[in-house]
Amino acid sequence: MNPFYLGTSSRRVFAIHEPPLRPSPRLRSAVLCYPWGSEYVYAHRSLRLLAQRLAAAGIHTLRFDYYGTGDSDGDMSQADLGGWEADTEAAIEGLQDMIGCAQVTLIGMRLGGAVAARVAMRLRRKVDAVVLWDPVVSGEEYIQTLERLGRPSMDGDAGKIEVLGYPLTASMRSAIRRIDLREYVATPPARTLMLASETLASHASLRGTARSAGAKPFDLEPVAAPLPWVESVTVTGAVPVRVLQRVTEWLA
Amino acid sequence: MAGMNAKLYSEQVLLLGEQRSLVGILTRPTMGSVAESTVQPAVVILNTGVIHRVGHHRMYVTLARTLASAGRTVLRFDFSGLGDSAQRTDHLPPLESCMADLADVLNELDQKHGIRRVVLVGLCSGADHAVLYAHTDARVAGLILMDPTLPPTRRYYFHYILQRLGNFKNWVSFVTLRSGLLRLVFTQMQSLVTARRDVREATLSGIQFSPYLALSYEKSMAHGIRALAVFTSLSPRQTYRKQMLDAFPRADFDRKLTVEYVDESDHLFTLERDRTQLSAKILGWLNTTLPC
Repeated sequence: MNPFYLGTSSRRVFAIHEPPLRPSPRLRSAVLCYPWGSEYVYAHRSLRLLAQRLAAAGIHTLRFDYYGTGDSDGDMSQADLGGWEADTEAAIEGLQDMIGCAQVTLIGMRLGGAVAARVAMRLRRKVDAVVLWDPVVSGEEYIQTLERLGRPSMDGDAGKIEVLGYPLTASMRSAIRRIDLREYVATPPARTLMLASETLASHASLRGTARSAGAKPFDLEPVAAPLPWVESVTVTGAVPVRVLQRVTEWLA
Repeated sequence: MAGMNAKLYSEQVLLLGEQRSLVGILTRPTMGSVAESTVQPAVVILNTGVIHRVGHHRMYVTLARTLASAGRTVLRFDFSGLGDSAQRTDHLPPLESCMADLADVLNELDQKHGIRRVVLVGLCSGADHAVLYAHTDARVAGLILMDPTLPPTRRYYFHYILQRLGNFKNWVSFVTLRSGLLRLVFTQMQSLVTARRDVREATLSGIQFSPYLALSYEKSMAHGIRALAVFTSLSPRQTYRKQMLDAFPRADFDRKLTVEYVDESDHLFTLERDRTQLSAKILGWLNTTLPC
């Protein structure tokens, strides 16, 4: 394991590279995209364990904190979706420079799934596969959930709300609202596995788009597993082993 | 706030411990020389439960940057098996493992960074780890304890019962022997028989009634360690303000303990307003008690 900062001095992003634990006949690599807010905190353990499983299966992994989150530079209120996509591209480039791979797999959970999908659409040649773990399918649907949990911020910024302790600015909300994963499944840029541990209203529409587009490399798999991004008396710290196994098998 | 002060601190990733397996972030003030910043006690922030070094709501990142901007060196790190740190290979029980990690980390701060005095900071289980360790290491000059574990006192039980008397559900739980109060009393009585005064016999889950917790407070105070205890109004283990003093009657807190409250805050300081208040209290206490 090699923790380091990548990016420029004005936008340093904390990252961890896990090299493979055993030699692999083929150079394989994956970049992991975290979810946002309290989901990031609770899911951190599961994503770390996923990175370790992939490393054990011979795959290099890089996970990183977006600007304004985790150990990276920036304030939480500086979070912005476009910037996070740029951070993801920087992470891909960083990993490619480090190990010399031509292509990487993107793995994204929740909001990180939406980030991974958008980056994959932009960098088609650099991404060989995409794993979307309960991604945000409809930005509008996700924002409604956040707004139900949120409360107005007390710092005088009328457009900002606090969601379980995390500030969500008006510009971030508006960027999230524009997320629509149907654009992705209409023309998937790479082989894609989408796992759904919970059923969302938006899934039906997503399946419909995938069917009508004949989106062959797209799977939407229901999986019975705990939601690692949720805090509750019974779930915090629980690891959805079934999901980790499925992702590892699918990539191997 | 931290972003506005971006030029006042720098951050560095550290791999700590004999196996280089503990991941930490050292946040240092950029003003003044490094030598100046090692004279005053550095601040070491411990994990809360299973949450990694960033903390709930990124509170430890913000706190570290705020303190470093004010001239303090701060380390946030993950105990073995938490966050990004690997498990220890010596198979120590969980509590001993945390104590051993802390010793490793302080040794390294001492030997490689010239930091010889520290203030340990923790919330909930982090606070308990801090107090259980403090008296075993002369380098610990201070403790900042947020909602630490307190044993229930007679007055605690009185308040606890009073608050629940009017609720029918509580009576049903009591009659059907599923009451939290009965469980608490039973655990306390059981601890009278089983508890030991040694860390090797203690576990964090049973620490509330462990004589080792009381002994740790007594020894910390006897060693002259200064402490700030910050309680939230929704602290799960406190029902009145003087409970800490009553809970550890043999600890000489006189002029060594400062107790502060962040009213209306929940246990995790979820609101930004509450975290700002907490930061101000910590900074104020550090400047007054262990000044630069």
